[in-house]
Amino acid sequence: MDFAHDNYPSYETMYNHDEAYGKKARRTLWNVFWIMLAITIAELVVGFMAPGKGWTGALWLKIFFISFTLIKAGYIVMAFMHLGHEVKFFKYVILMPYIVFMFYLIFIVLVEGTYAGEKGNVTRVDQVLVQQQINLRKSHGHGAAHEAAAGHEEAPKEEAHH
Amino acid sequence: MAHIAEYDAKEAWSGGQSPFRVSYGKMFMWFFLISDALTFGGLLVSYGFIRHKYAEVWPKAENVFTHFPFVEQHLPLAYVGLMTFILIMSSVTMVLAVEAGKRMDKKGVLIWMFWTIIGGLAFVGSQAWEWFHFIVGTDEGAMRNVWDMATQKYVLQEWHGANMVVNEYGVPQFANYFFFITGFHGTHVFSGVVINFVIFMNAINGTYERRGHYEMVEKVGLYWHFVDLVWVFVFTFFYLL
Repeated sequence: MDFAHDNYPSYETMYNHDEAYGKKARRTLWNVFWIMLAITIAELVVGFMAPGKGWTGALWLKIFFISFTLIKAGYIVMAFMHLGHEVKFFKYVILMPYIVFMFYLIFIVLVEGTYAGEKGNVTRVDQVLVQQQINLRKSHGHGAAHEAAAGHEEAPKEEAHH
Repeated sequence: MAHIAEYDAKEAWSGGQSPFRVSYGKMFMWFFLISDALTFGGLLVSYGFIRHKYAEVWPKAENVFTHFPFVEQHLPLAYVGLMTFILIMSSVTMVLAVEAGKRMDKKGVLIWMFWTIIGGLAFVGSQAWEWFHFIVGTDEGAMRNVWDMATQKYVLQEWHGANMVVNEYGVPQFANYFFFITGFHGTHVFSGVVINFVIFMNAINGTYERRGHYEMVEKVGLYWHFVDLVWVFVFTFFYLL
């Protein structure tokens, strides 16, 4: 085998193509664009209309948003970033370490986040912060100044923690 | 593609060539993007943790981002939808520039890169507008305990807008994460625009025509698509969920 540098393949020009192939490629890219646009509009419509959103909201909504996001991410990485056309080994080298690490991180955070959110494990400072926010929210709006003052009365001595 | 069909896995690993069939420049752009993606992943996961912890008092995005330029009505999520559209659109123009580069079509590269730069600037401008309205806040405001330096005490007072310590819309953590994650993403968009501009000027000067390939456009395109990719996740976890 010849190891001379002159024989080293030119990967920069290897992926060049002619007009006929380019036409096909462009059609694919525009199709991907329309799919992504449709997904984004669907997400916005659902996000606009769906009641009870948020972290405490319905489970199907979270699954809906996250799975649509992952579909969009897949289209970006595979079509736009061209990873779908790369060699199989390269795909794995890029994607596998990231996916494994992120699943691990999400798993850890879900487990620990559940622990941190349990009543007995919330720190005193956080309890005060949350209670203050709830009190202030109640007092939000006109003619609620009295309520706000009442919510404030228990606050100052806790604030010394800061 | 033809060059993939020719790929013989056994021979590819026997030396004298890249088993991944990519140039070192493209490969290291990918490696950089992975490390950057880990940073963004860590930020979003920690955002999820804090949001989970303060779930009962976390503000809802559609109550916070309700403005739209030149329109008086409350239009929740409409503006961020437009921003998302701008970024996806600029991702498409970028990929069309890359495609033109593979045909050695200098004019096509220039046209599509020009639109990509315009899209990037429009996005950065939109983000500045969004930050401005978030910081200034609403007319009605909210009652907040604000630290008074003179008396060294918290004073309950009417507060408008958000900064790193006081937030009209809810817990200050919401503002902290909003500023940090969209700010970090906006920095990426801005540097992407700058790099795009450099490559655009090189393409005008014919650097890549002399070089015989437009791979630099592809590499900067990878970075640009990554910025779009991050925004897709920020959009979901910050605005939709």
